[in-house]
Amino acid sequence: MSFEIQKEKIKQICRELLEKGEVDVIIGYTAGEIEGTRIPYIFSKPEEADKLEWDERCTPNLCTYLHGRKDKVGIVAKPCDVRGIVNYLVESQLKKDKVYIIGVDCAGMKDDQGNPSPGCGECSVKQPPLYDMRVENPDVTNEKGAPPEAADPADLMEKLERFQNELQKCILCYSCRQACYGCYCQVCFMDRGVPNWQPATPDLGAKMVYHLGRAMHLSGRCVECGACERTCASGVNIRYLIKEISDFIEKTYGYKTGLDAEDQPVMTTYAFDDKEIGFLGGDADA
Amino acid sequence: MADETVNTNREWEPKIIAFLCNWCSYAGADLAGTGRLQYPPYVRVIRVPCSGRINPIYIIKALTDGADGVMVSGCHPGDCHYLSGNMYARRRFTVLKKLLTTAGIDPDRVHFTWVSASEGGRFADVVREVTEKVMKLGPNRTCEYAENVLGGNRI
Repeated sequence: MSFEIQKEKIKQICRELLEKGEVDVIIGYTAGEIEGTRIPYIFSKPEEADKLEWDERCTPNLCTYLHGRKDKVGIVAKPCDVRGIVNYLVESQLKKDKVYIIGVDCAGMKDDQGNPSPGCGECSVKQPPLYDMRVENPDVTNEKGAPPEAADPADLMEKLERFQNELQKCILCYSCRQACYGCYCQVCFMDRGVPNWQPATPDLGAKMVYHLGRAMHLSGRCVECGACERTCASGVNIRYLIKEISDFIEKTYGYKTGLDAEDQPVMTTYAFDDKEIGFLGGDADA
Repeated sequence: MADETVNTNREWEPKIIAFLCNWCSYAGADLAGTGRLQYPPYVRVIRVPCSGRINPIYIIKALTDGADGVMVSGCHPGDCHYLSGNMYARRRFTVLKKLLTTAGIDPDRVHFTWVSASEGGRFADVVREVTEKVMKLGPNRTCEYAENVLGGNRI
């Protein structure tokens, strides 16, 4: 099993890094209290590296724990975590010399039922785009997985029903925001008193403002790690919205998030010949 | 007892929020007024410094709070008072419209366009076009649960 080989390699690398003093702490995965679960593990002593785990249940996006740290961090990063780190570099949230990336080839994660974890089925980045040390898995290629079977509804009313069906489950607990690597605003727009975007009652309108607003904030920044969907207690899948605009941005502006640290964030740049899709008298859909 | 001074038989009229940039479109709307051009009276104008100032959440909030249509207008690309504000806005609006369409909100409820300070006639035309499209759609019900969701009940 190549997961085992990778695990031993990760342990060895982490131990060496801490012994040499190249990093202050390592962020990785360890076993959770419930059997089979894997939780984030932050440690600073070389002998603690023995507790590291790496298998198909290592779903959390560790890049979230990187934000705001002042010390030099080594991180065991799946390709989607690395994309998050790259996007932090792009957005100047992180300095490259403050992070040591142990990029791990990822064959795709599984949930507790053995199904592909959210986002893993259709994943197209399985080798880390940026790394200081790479833990390879020869079986893994960047081949795009099969798209989910359920086709997107074409009819507008069906689209609205799909959206409302998801929202109807939402209880506005903001878990998706907390789990998201990209939601690092110090004060989220939904927590603000002035201007107060959140209506007094958690009705459909409030949920729409939150989910559409968050989707808009994540346009061109989502790394498709699926953390929002995994963490949701009510099983809301709002990722399809963000996925749709990520695809749209890739098609229209040729930008895919988190692949190149030299990029400019797509929504804070412009080109004079940008298409005006959907404008009055604008261009047709790309 | 119903208040007889309130006309309940009045036909539905669309409520359209127009975000106009101070330097071009607002002056364009002003010109349409001083030129005494006729256009439908359903737009409520909100003046903003620049089309780049418009937070997409303004538009989302307008739609969820019951506006039947939203219209955004700024300077033509290249003419922005702040040089590049409308260029950023252009990407933002393109993506926003795609997002709203994916969510099932009719793309004809949200309109983006460019109107310069000397285009009073164009402003009237744009308002007429937007009003026509929004009237065709009828009242905005995106914020009420659809018939097939929760049995049409609102919670």
